[in-house]
Amino acid sequence: MAQPLVKKDDDRDDEADYSPFLGIEKGAVLQEARVFNDPQLDARRCSQVITKLLYLLNQGETFTKVEATEVFFAVTKLFQSKDTGLRRMVYLMIKELSPSADEVIIVTSSLMKDMNSKTDMYRANAIRVLCRITDGTLLTQIERYLKQAIVDKNPVVASAALVSGIHLLQTNPEIVKRWSNEVQEAMQSRAALVQFHALALLHQIRQNDRLAVSKLVTSLTRGSVRSPLAQCLLIRYTSQVIRESSTNSQTGERPFFDYLESCLRHKAEMVIFEAARAITELSGVTSRELTPAITVLQLFLSSSKPVLRFAAVRTLNKVAMTHPLAVTNCNIDMESLISDQNRSIATLAITTLLKTGNESSVDRLMKQITNFMADIADEFKIVVVDAIRSLCLKFPLKYRSLMNFLSNILREEGGFEYKKAIVDSIVTLIRDIPDAKESGLFHLCEFIEDCEFTYLSSQILHFLGNEGPKTSDPSKYIRYIYNRVILENATVRASAVSTLAKFGAMVDSLKPRIFVLLRRCLFDTDDEVRDRATLYLKVLGGEVTVGETETDANDFLFGSFDVPLVNLETSLRNYEASEEPFDINSVPKEIKSQPLAEKKAPGKKPTTGLGAPSNGPVSAVDAYERLLSSIPEFAGFGALFKSSAPVELTEAETEYAVNVVKHIYDGHVVFQYNCTNTIPEQLLENVTVFVDASEAEEFAEVASKPLRSLPYDTPGQTFVAFEKPEGGPATGKFSNILKFIVKEVDTSTGEAEDEGVEDEYQLEDLEIVPGDYMRKVPVANFKNAWESMGPENEQVDEYALGVRESLAEAVSAVINILGMQPCEGTEVVPSNSRSHTCLLSGVYIGNVKVLARLSFGISGPKEVAMKLVVRSEDPDVTARIHQIVIES
Amino acid sequence: MILAVLFANTDGNILVERFHGVPAEERLHWRSFLVKLGAENLRGARNEELLVASHKSVYIVYTMLGDVCIYVVGKDEYDELALSEVIFVITSAVKDVCGKPPTERLFLDKYGRICLCLDEIVWKGMLENTEKDRIRRLIRLKPPVEP
Repeated sequence: MAQPLVKKDDDRDDEADYSPFLGIEKGAVLQEARVFNDPQLDARRCSQVITKLLYLLNQGETFTKVEATEVFFAVTKLFQSKDTGLRRMVYLMIKELSPSADEVIIVTSSLMKDMNSKTDMYRANAIRVLCRITDGTLLTQIERYLKQAIVDKNPVVASAALVSGIHLLQTNPEIVKRWSNEVQEAMQSRAALVQFHALALLHQIRQNDRLAVSKLVTSLTRGSVRSPLAQCLLIRYTSQVIRESSTNSQTGERPFFDYLESCLRHKAEMVIFEAARAITELSGVTSRELTPAITVLQLFLSSSKPVLRFAAVRTLNKVAMTHPLAVTNCNIDMESLISDQNRSIATLAITTLLKTGNESSVDRLMKQITNFMADIADEFKIVVVDAIRSLCLKFPLKYRSLMNFLSNILREEGGFEYKKAIVDSIVTLIRDIPDAKESGLFHLCEFIEDCEFTYLSSQILHFLGNEGPKTSDPSKYIRYIYNRVILENATVRASAVSTLAKFGAMVDSLKPRIFVLLRRCLFDTDDEVRDRATLYLKVLGGEVTVGETETDANDFLFGSFDVPLVNLETSLRNYEASEEPFDINSVPKEIKSQPLAEKKAPGKKPTTGLGAPSNGPVSAVDAYERLLSSIPEFAGFGALFKSSAPVELTEAETEYAVNVVKHIYDGHVVFQYNCTNTIPEQLLENVTVFVDASEAEEFAEVASKPLRSLPYDTPGQTFVAFEKPEGGPATGKFSNILKFIVKEVDTSTGEAEDEGVEDEYQLEDLEIVPGDYMRKVPVANFKNAWESMGPENEQVDEYALGVRESLAEAVSAVINILGMQPCEGTEVVPSNSRSHTCLLSGVYIGNVKVLARLSFGISGPKEVAMKLVVRSEDPDVTARIHQIVIES
Repeated sequence: MILAVLFANTDGNILVERFHGVPAEERLHWRSFLVKLGAENLRGARNEELLVASHKSVYIVYTMLGDVCIYVVGKDEYDELALSEVIFVITSAVKDVCGKPPTERLFLDKYGRICLCLDEIVWKGMLENTEKDRIRRLIRLKPPVEP
């Protein structure tokens, strides 16, 4: 363990203030612990020594194995003393030492004796200690006593047993689940705390049984729950039940809503809060339902307690994301919080106001924020900057004052993350608000004149290279760019050279002058800078030809690099030098999709920043590809196109847990069955899945790879491969049976019997659907991608989707069927909206890029209609996407 | 889960620290983070005034009791409200043991008692006992008086 930051500083001059632990040393205390072995125990002295040991442990001191064992054995001697104060210390000390399994046995009998003692408090404490240090085998021995303890007359004993149950449920669920009747009885206890603990345990035992939870909630919401804590738990469970049940479609009423509303009038603040928060988090909450909750939260905004103010403003901040209008009533209270002593509260208040404010209040708000920004830390500033970006996208007409604000704060002091957030915001505004482009680019140019962050400078230069040549007067940017070549470090200089070259390539009138500048770079001290300058001069000057036209040359020099760098790195590492050259097309292009910044929790980095979308962690696809290519049977299938998310083929908590991953190749599919054996008494051998493909006519089984052995709780995989027609769109249904040889295992020795029995286990069916041939690939800017794809292979059609539960449900259903990546956060449908447009992108098998624009509308009786516009690189694929919608 | 309960003196020296479910290598980071937070905000705070902060998905409620700074860190169901309940129990139990808001010396004099109180209040990262009278009896192994 880490050493304490600062040990207690002991050399004080002030006599009266010296520490009782002055000069404490581990060795000396361990020596003192020998008093535990005295035949005549001095309880007071022993307590003092234990206090010293506790002090050492609490300061981060550690005992070696030998020391801990020695102290532990000495402490067990103290059970002989009848002194209650000392006994209490002994209980604590044993827990702190957390002895190993072979040592536990020494105290078990003493603790068991205490567990059956007539003194209630011995019973309670012994239960806590035993449950803390016990393992599964001992637990079965003491289970009988624990069950009795749960219904003990003494509430302390009952609570001790119940709380122990909550902890033991993590490690020994099957044992604790047997206590359900006793726990139910404890629920009726008159002691408030017992009821609270019993409720928590009962819910945990039954959490997978929706019906039981619903019954529990129904009975308790009618009855009286005594402690406010239990009331809070009940509110949480109630909102869970509400989430899982649907609204009464006739009256539009929500079950249990009355209960939540009544809790808003409870006398305990925590209950009021819990209820208010539960109401604001209801899915599809209406403004009528929100009003009472917002009213109580508004009262808390002016509470004298910072915690309550924080909780209220945090909740309202969340509400403002989905229902800004509902929160506007609180704006006046919120504005007074901007000057709150607590910066967390002030920041939340500001960001909430930025969400709820209307166009006319923007200027006043910006003035207030300017004063506020000076005295908060960077992490809070980032939150504010993100909120301002969203505000500007909402009120594009106000871009002037918001852009000015951003450029002002860009000039002030700040760390990298903060500056990056500002730059990202300006870039987003430039992209989305055409009027803001020129002034935004100018602010960025000013910034790089005095920017200490190499990363930001290079990113801005890259962005300038893309956007600058398209402005009305590109030449005015050249000065800023060339200054970088003179003044900066090699990395920035190299970026500046590339940017200059882009201007040269895209603006003919500037070309001769750019060439002069690039030639000067040929004498740079850094080789990368020289290399780039040489390459650009040769290619742009026409001395070397790349491709056939000028466009080809530009593509070669500046085209986007559509392979994620992480994937490229992995592929290059896997590549072994041979006759065959490395093929960049073999690099998988799938990256983990990331939702848009606006939906993310504050503090995370936005993805709508500069350049290409940032690469997520190495995707599961890489791991799959490595796994599959290591199996000789599948090596000849070519490049893996897509791997699906695991599909469960068994219910939760069955004997064998199996899920399947569908791997799609051009001419094959491979099913990877991930199996887990959850029975300790069994060893499975020769595990295979028998697949019946009679409902999938186009598929023919070609290979199967059994799993040799599947021991308890160690997942393993078996594979089945099918041949199918090249490309799409073969679909079908497969039924699966798990076959294996089962052998009994002696759990005490872990040895399996020699003889086994053949057995099989029915799994759920599995389907290959059209969406399996589509890979989710996000595009950074949908509008650009859509326009560059062009209308040649466009197909438009309208569809009636019939009566749906809601617009959001219809949108997500279509997204799922198509299996494409929603872009720019358009998969989220604002509640109560009557129409919605959703943008999707993807790559169809055969590496054909596809974009789709879906417009939905919903009528009074919930009839949903959809207009689907598809563009792709291949007219057949465009038609096929429409076919998918028609067929499903 | 209550991730941490930490007591420090005004100079930032640790008096008691108890972590639950925090990996050993992250504890040092938490300790310095909390002490820094206290140094920046607790100076000039009223006795027992609750301050609150959140860091990623974790909540922190902290206060000053006499000469002792108390920090409680939690996540999930232990949000700022639940933590303020926890810290209220802790401060009232400490005051009960010490008889008044403690000086550092008084706190260390009553160290053993305070450890026992904490043991009654937080049990492996969950709030257990909440009433100071009950806790006072429990740490002496006396059965509480039920209302």
